Amino acid sequence: MRFIGQRRARQRGHAMIELAVSAAVMVSCVAGTVQFGYTFYVYNQLVTAVGNGGRYAAMRTYRAAGSRDIEKGKEAIRNMVVFGDSRPATGVAPQVAYLKPEQVQVDWVMDESGKPAAVNVSIIDYTVDAAFGMFRFTGKPAVEYPFVGRFAPSESEP
Amino acid sequence: MRVRRHKNERGFVLIAMSVAMVVMLAVMGLAFDFGRIYIAHNEAQVFTDAAAMAAASKLDGTDAGLDRARQAVAKLPMRWNLGTKSFSGVKVEFSPDKQSWARVTAPDNQVEITFLRAVGGPPTFTVPAHSVAAAKPVRLIE
Repeated sequence: MRFIGQRRARQRGHAMIELAVSAAVMVSCVAGTVQFGYTFYVYNQLVTAVGNGGRYAAMRTYRAAGSRDIEKGKEAIRNMVVFGDSRPATGVAPQVAYLKPEQVQVDWVMDESGKPAAVNVSIIDYTVDAAFGMFRFTGKPAVEYPFVGRFAPSESEP
Repeated sequence: MRVRRHKNERGFVLIAMSVAMVVMLAVMGLAFDFGRIYIAHNEAQVFTDAAAMAAASKLDGTDAGLDRARQAVAKLPMRWNLGTKSFSGVKVEFSPDKQSWARVTAPDNQVEITFLRAVGGPPTFTVPAHSVAAAKPVRLIE
């Protein structure tokens, strides 16, 4: 009887150690899955947002009466990336969690004659908080679209 | 009697763990590998969209226009695989009249599979993308 009792106690110890070891492996696997799965999901959303913004920028009329007009144009593009709308209503949620217009960079590439040839749209300094870890994206995702819109050097933004 | 039953239970955790591990790898594969595949597909699609637009904007009915269109596509700096790999084997095709539309295909973006390989998945998965753009698009944005 004493012998049986000892054996069961020993086995309980085994089970505890096995649980501890396997739980450590399992929990880290689950954590990794959640972390990478969510980060990839957000990155995919960013790629889509940046692509849509780039396409909008490419087709949009480039008005350049003054530097304020160029800046207003960029603001419309940033809003398109973040909200899917060039003039969003106040309080609209961004398409990608916690993305702000300041985290979108719009750069025009000009040709020799001073006309816009292409537009670069990229994400700068965006951090994904994936519960078990953080990922910071800066300079990516990025797109370059050719400018195919109307060039209006003497028009002002409405 | 009791002692013998305990003896038979030995190794159960090993079997349970190995089954759980296979399931776990499959779940991780779904999250990680499919995540990367979806991103690569999206990146390739955004690239071909921009490339088709760049090519179409250069078309003017001449062979020189076709050359300029091909150069415009080659010049695009966009990358895939989380923004690390440049596109290879990009195919640019044009309408027979050389001025209506351009089609860009990015055919061989092979995503390397990490976890699903362990449960019988293929070593790579190709996500092609293609886009067509008209040289004179209908302008919907002002």
